[in-house]
Amino acid sequence: MKGNRTLVHPLTMWIFFIVLAIGVVASGNSLHALGAIFLAAVIVQFKGETGPWRRSFRWSLYAGLYLLAIRLFTSIVIGVPIPGTTIFTLPRLSLPSWLPGIRIGGPVTLERVSNSLQEAVIIAAVIALFGAANSVTSPHKLLRTLPAHVYQISVALTIATSIVPQFISSIARIREAQVLRNGLRPKLSSIAVPLLEESLTRSAHLAESMESRGYGLSRKRSKYRPFSFSIIDIYFLISAAIISSVMVLA
Amino acid sequence: MIKFSGVSLLYPQATRTVLDSLTCEIAEGEMVLVMGHTGSGKSSLLRLVNGLVPHHTGGILAGEIIVDGLSTRTLRPGELAGIVGIVGQNPIDGFVADTVEEEIAFGMESLNFAPELMRKRVEEALDQVGLAHLRDRTIATLSGGEQQRVAIASALVMHPKVLLLDEPTSALDPIAAEEILALLHRLVHDLSITVIIAEHRLERVIGYVDRILLIEEDGKSHLGLPEEILTMSNLVPPIVKLARALHLPDIGTSTRDVRRATTQFRESLPDVAAPVRAFGAPTVVAENVTVQYQAKIALSNASLTLHSGEITALMGRNGAGKSSLIRSIVGVQKVSAGKISVNGKSISEYSSVERAQLIGYVPQEPGDLLFRTSVAQECAAADIESHLSPGTTLALLHENISAIDPQTHPRDLSEGQRLALVLSIVLASQPALLILDEPTRGLDYEAKERLAVYLRAIADDSATTVLIATHDVELVAELADRTIFLADGDKVADGSTIDVLLASPAFAPQVAKVMSPRRWLTVGDVLKSQQLSSQ
Repeated sequence: MKGNRTLVHPLTMWIFFIVLAIGVVASGNSLHALGAIFLAAVIVQFKGETGPWRRSFRWSLYAGLYLLAIRLFTSIVIGVPIPGTTIFTLPRLSLPSWLPGIRIGGPVTLERVSNSLQEAVIIAAVIALFGAANSVTSPHKLLRTLPAHVYQISVALTIATSIVPQFISSIARIREAQVLRNGLRPKLSSIAVPLLEESLTRSAHLAESMESRGYGLSRKRSKYRPFSFSIIDIYFLISAAIISSVMVLA
Repeated sequence: MIKFSGVSLLYPQATRTVLDSLTCEIAEGEMVLVMGHTGSGKSSLLRLVNGLVPHHTGGILAGEIIVDGLSTRTLRPGELAGIVGIVGQNPIDGFVADTVEEEIAFGMESLNFAPELMRKRVEEALDQVGLAHLRDRTIATLSGGEQQRVAIASALVMHPKVLLLDEPTSALDPIAAEEILALLHRLVHDLSITVIIAEHRLERVIGYVDRILLIEEDGKSHLGLPEEILTMSNLVPPIVKLARALHLPDIGTSTRDVRRATTQFRESLPDVAAPVRAFGAPTVVAENVTVQYQAKIALSNASLTLHSGEITALMGRNGAGKSSLIRSIVGVQKVSAGKISVNGKSISEYSSVERAQLIGYVPQEPGDLLFRTSVAQECAAADIESHLSPGTTLALLHENISAIDPQTHPRDLSEGQRLALVLSIVLASQPALLILDEPTRGLDYEAKERLAVYLRAIADDSATTVLIATHDVELVAELADRTIFLADGDKVADGSTIDVLLASPAFAPQVAKVMSPRRWLTVGDVLKSQQLSSQ
């Protein structure tokens, strides 16, 4: 997506989503949280990255749902009783007397379930907003906005994060080859040795490539396509501020 | 442009001199091929030119290398970035940034170029390699050929006078390889860039190069015209083998030259009936197999049968579905539809131990299976795994290559030796089916020939079914009884190797191109016909 590259400063979208997340937490309203997730989904759909980072929004949604499920389960089975409309009653487990205040089973009230669901939705929304920020502006782009004197750190971080997927696929490949060799589950050490050797070779190649291209030679460095703030960034930031204030005040 | 004067190189603790008093000069706008056996120092020679050897890797260097008037002795590789560009063996390992444009700009950013100049240069480089339409793409999502072009563009953007490439086509299918070489050829002819290539697959590059630098095993080297060097070398592409076999007065390096010299053979030699091989019962039967990853169909409705004693080649571009097919046959990939049975029983019904005994799988990186500290230990472990008497695997290995010291560390083996070791380990349990994934990458002609002879013996003597996924047309021509061709998840051809290879000009081996329209794929085929006519 071309517009993505030139239109907004990488920091803008991160600030946008962070302000939104603050709004969601401060307002504590699960409907607002759902609305924020919906807004994030729309933005990701139209302004998302094209690379692998785009998927982080989807993964953050899965993570949110998982959290929701766990929270719901625990709120039904374990927890402090909140009086109200009883939906159903679970058989109560009798615990030894040295475990006071903990209850397993017993009446499940509507209030208790809805309370914990609300909480969970808000946490899920914060996770989703973080995922959306990653999807719209990859952390690598964010790193590129760092000032030149921390350049080395940003290059190291970028390389480290881009190697993770390679690393995972190498592990899967080596594991698979070894399972096919003898049909047994490979030991950790038998995967670690080829993996270590491969990683070392790779890093040596990377160092070679960087060295031959003049990395570290000049104390100063320039930026290809330097980022600049534009009026659109201001629109985004103002709208984030407005949405959050409305959520909190409403 | 590049001047070597009395250059010798050796690495500490190594027993062998890598280069021995090399003195030669390479002119501007020349395309030079560096050839030699695996491990003969081709990569070291390339790295000498931009100073990576010895500044980056260490090593003891005598003599001097002058590139464009500058000595590499005192300059670091980065200081030569504007003069020498280098493209490594696996471009993906050398990438720093996420997207194509940022990667190309990386070198200029490090050297503090002005943003406007960078924009202009990146644009030029993108156009030179034909990547303008992919500028915003994430590099990890590009194909092998495209990644190779990104690496070339990243070097070109510095306006180098010399471009060094280490095995630029070894991971590519024949068509992508052809595209890369055509690109280099254009750079040499249009921009007068000096290009030095190290490559094993001579048949791919031989038509493009002006001169060849041959490095022998003792470190001695010779630079000369392709015809001169190929006359003295024992590593030669099929086209030269053909000229030698037919006792042609001159050896040619292009199909056209050799075609002209062989007209009489094409006209006079009789046809030879293809040898009829009898194959056993079907080992693998795949029916309407579809493999789907989320929205992407990797393999669609493919059916095939592999017979015992038959060697089948699986060809096709990267991403055509070769790995999906292989992974489904060995049972690690769930198929979305269809059925695969091995020896009459569905692959999913075997336990993983039974499956490992039934199928021998040699991965693309043979090193994935090796994690012990010596060849002897690896072999001993294989004996125990397959319940064999101690020493069986090692004996099997020595049958294939006798010169391996059992105490060697597996990482110190050459590519060919490592492949032989893994083959012995895998074959120790006498599997009914042997699958090799891209086995010839990094192998020189001798190692490749040894592999071909060995696999043929396995298929004939123990009636093993062999399936090879490869881009190597010459290996397929030499070895495979049958060839299956995949394109974009579909099986587009399945038939005898001769029919499939001759049907597509891009996949025809060199001998077939020279001898077209006669139906000969290899030098052996032509010789057989010659014998027949002399009887």
